[in-house]
Amino acid sequence: MPAVFLDRLPLPSLQAYTAVSVLLLSCSVYYAVQITSDPEWKLNATLEFENNEGAKNQTIENRRELSFDEVLLENKIFRRLLEIVIFMIQEPLCIWTLINMAYCCLILVGKFIQKLVFGELRVSEQQHIKDKFWNFVFYKFIFIFGVMNVQFMDEVVLWCGWFSVLGFLHLLSQLCKDRFEYLSLSPMTSRWTHVRLLALLSVILISSSSLFVLCVFVGLQAGLNTFAFMVAECALVTVRTLYIIARYFIHLWDINHEGVWEKRTTYVYYSELTFELTALVVDFIHHLHMLLWGNIFLSMASLVICMQLRYLFHEIRHRLKKHKNYLRVVRHMESNYPMTSLEEMENNSENCAICWDYMESARKLPCGHFFHNSCLRSWLEQDSSCPTCRMSLAVHGDGSGGTPTGDDNHNNLLGALGRQEGEPTHTGNQTTNHFFHFDGSRYVSWFPSFSVEVTHTNLLGNRQLPAVQTSQLDNMARQVQQMFPHMPLNLIMEDLRSTHAVELTIENILDERLVSHPSPMFQANTTHTAISTQDSSQDNYTTQPIATNERESDQRESSASTSDWKFFEDTVFSLDEDTSESSSEDNGGLTRALSSMGHGCRFSKSPQERESMLAHRKEELFKAAKRKYLATSGSRTAELASDPEPSTSYSSSSVYDEMNIFQDPSNSRGDGQWYSIPEHHAPEHVTER
Amino acid sequence: MARSALRRLMAEYKQLTLNPPEGIIAGPVCEENFFEWEALIMGPEGTCFEGGVFPAKLIFPPDYPLSPPKMQFTCEMFHPNIYPDGRVCISILHAPGEDPMGYESSAERWSPVQSVEKILLSVISMLAEPNDESGANVDAAKMWREDREQFNKITDRLVRKSLGLAPA
Ligand SMILES: [Zn+2]
Ligand SMILES: [Zn+2]
Repeated sequence: MPAVFLDRLPLPSLQAYTAVSVLLLSCSVYYAVQITSDPEWKLNATLEFENNEGAKNQTIENRRELSFDEVLLENKIFRRLLEIVIFMIQEPLCIWTLINMAYCCLILVGKFIQKLVFGELRVSEQQHIKDKFWNFVFYKFIFIFGVMNVQFMDEVVLWCGWFSVLGFLHLLSQLCKDRFEYLSLSPMTSRWTHVRLLALLSVILISSSSLFVLCVFVGLQAGLNTFAFMVAECALVTVRTLYIIARYFIHLWDINHEGVWEKRTTYVYYSELTFELTALVVDFIHHLHMLLWGNIFLSMASLVICMQLRYLFHEIRHRLKKHKNYLRVVRHMESNYPMTSLEEMENNSENCAICWDYMESARKLPCGHFFHNSCLRSWLEQDSSCPTCRMSLAVHGDGSGGTPTGDDNHNNLLGALGRQEGEPTHTGNQTTNHFFHFDGSRYVSWFPSFSVEVTHTNLLGNRQLPAVQTSQLDNMARQVQQMFPHMPLNLIMEDLRSTHAVELTIENILDERLVSHPSPMFQANTTHTAISTQDSSQDNYTTQPIATNERESDQRESSASTSDWKFFEDTVFSLDEDTSESSSEDNGGLTRALSSMGHGCRFSKSPQERESMLAHRKEELFKAAKRKYLATSGSRTAELASDPEPSTSYSSSSVYDEMNIFQDPSNSRGDGQWYSIPEHHAPEHVTER
Repeated sequence: MARSALRRLMAEYKQLTLNPPEGIIAGPVCEENFFEWEALIMGPEGTCFEGGVFPAKLIFPPDYPLSPPKMQFTCEMFHPNIYPDGRVCISILHAPGEDPMGYESSAERWSPVQSVEKILLSVISMLAEPNDESGANVDAAKMWREDREQFNKITDRLVRKSLGLAPA
């Protein structure tokens, strides 16, 4: 890209540039003053004045000759200034210094805004700005000289001026976007920062809309094409800025409100979709317009524009594809995974496994796992398995019948559930596949059609399915075996093949339905596969008291964490008044924290305290590890001397080490000496990192 | 969305602080960026990494529980499943879609129910039992198979180095 080459360009520092441009400006002003004070020039110039603004000048001239009042003295200065300015505009050398000065001012304003709003720019922000800047310069160069084919200098200057202002706004909004995205990574940002950023965003918005008004005025005189060219960039800035502002407000709303508002994600999704698509479409039309209007089909410029068009088209297509995926997932979820009823929710006190938040309502997967509607949707957009148990959910394939694995009862179940709805989603699939093979026939191919390609993809999907499932089974079996090492792996596999969920198998084991040799009960389980899943998913609730204290303790923990969560939520996600308050009591809190350094320590309210506690815990870990290492290494060296083959008896030597720590008091005393020497290094090491 | 990621990370941070697993400390170094954590991992006992404390950084994506974080040791490491630049290559850190090595099933890969704690625990078990099929560091894998004594010497040096001690 052009940015790469232009990046190497050595740029002077801002101070030097400002100094040079001020110097140049003063030189040219001095030159202008010299020339204009020359009576001979005045004679020539007045003639020209006469043509332009004759009458006005005449009166001023007359008045000057008539009297020497103070007011007229002012008038004289004014006249002098006017003379100089007019001279400078006419003189090519002077006009360049003026333009240069204008750019210098723009840069200074930019710098000022940066200092005021952003402070120090981060590296990625700088990189973005640089890329964006050079890209903008490159494309506008192409536009002015390639598309518009501007011949006259003054036109070039006008277009340059226009694009400079727009580019400036573009860069500022890009900077705002980057900074906003960065700020949203942090749980606490001072309100003042938000205010400044939002103020800048609204300034950008206001200036872009006033530029729009300017566009209209110019367009009335220069014609529709010029208007369209001018307004495109303007609209882009406006849409992008609006998008950032909208996201910003959503973010602020989010931070200050608790809980998951299910509908919200839908609104946010659609507003994002609209903004993104609008920006892309405007850009696309703008480029298309350039290509068609410019009569430049076989030039370099057309090539560049075509490439940009291709890129934009690809982006739009990608976005639409994503949207289709979204719609398909939503439809699939609505038809196949019912929202849970209230009593089900009461029985299930676990949090959503995706966001770890409390669930007021949830969707239930066929494997018996619950998730928030929005959490599940965003996961299914990228993957088609249950996050917890990895059961394949066939969102992307088809739900109805035809699944290759005979024992895959869940898929059958799923198919039965989604049979009515299954067919429309199926055709939806086909259209997306079909759609992207024929770029031109975009609107025709919206209609479902049954072509060869579709069956092809179906075959592919079928072939992939069994492989995934066996390894999935493997993994699940290993998971179960970790908990019950006495169970043989093949038995667990067998059971998993029927239950398809780790939890169900575990329950089977706990309820002693699954014992070390296959019992008749278990046999029955495998034969009535389709029923057993429904059964056991209900078992989830009916057998809950039997399912040992593990689940109970789980419940206690989760309910405790939800109540804690509210507290921590209040403190952490509220804005800065709270932070400043807690940082004032920080010192007390810190000493408390330092004195009570246990194994598990408390979770502080204030971020500063958390940071310092974390640093402290790390330091402690290092110290402890070092102490321990030196203790064991003392014994290890002794052991090395006695042990002829240290490396082969590796595991046994570590056992020795442990025994040495616990049993040999002389060694631990010896370690005190060892320990005292390198202690000086410890803080050094920590600060170094 | 950054917001749900933030809440989730905060919850995980809290959990890891209140009851940390043995030999693991993790949290954001600077809370200005909650998506960049540092973790300290103690070498598991009974392995050649025993005694060492190895720092690593975790970078979370904005859509965090949906995509896995990236993990990279910031100290020198020598291990079959750790790239020479410190990046960790374990299946739990790979998104379900991608399969760079082509040998792992999607069941072993990232899912939103995984957590920082689980990642760090599997890194510990990776330290204890290297998987020499994955060639993140081919030299280390070869040495692990063929010359265990030399491997142990190197790791012992790394352990000492991680503790800020002079090499033995
Ligand atoms: Zn959720
Ligand atoms: Zn599940």
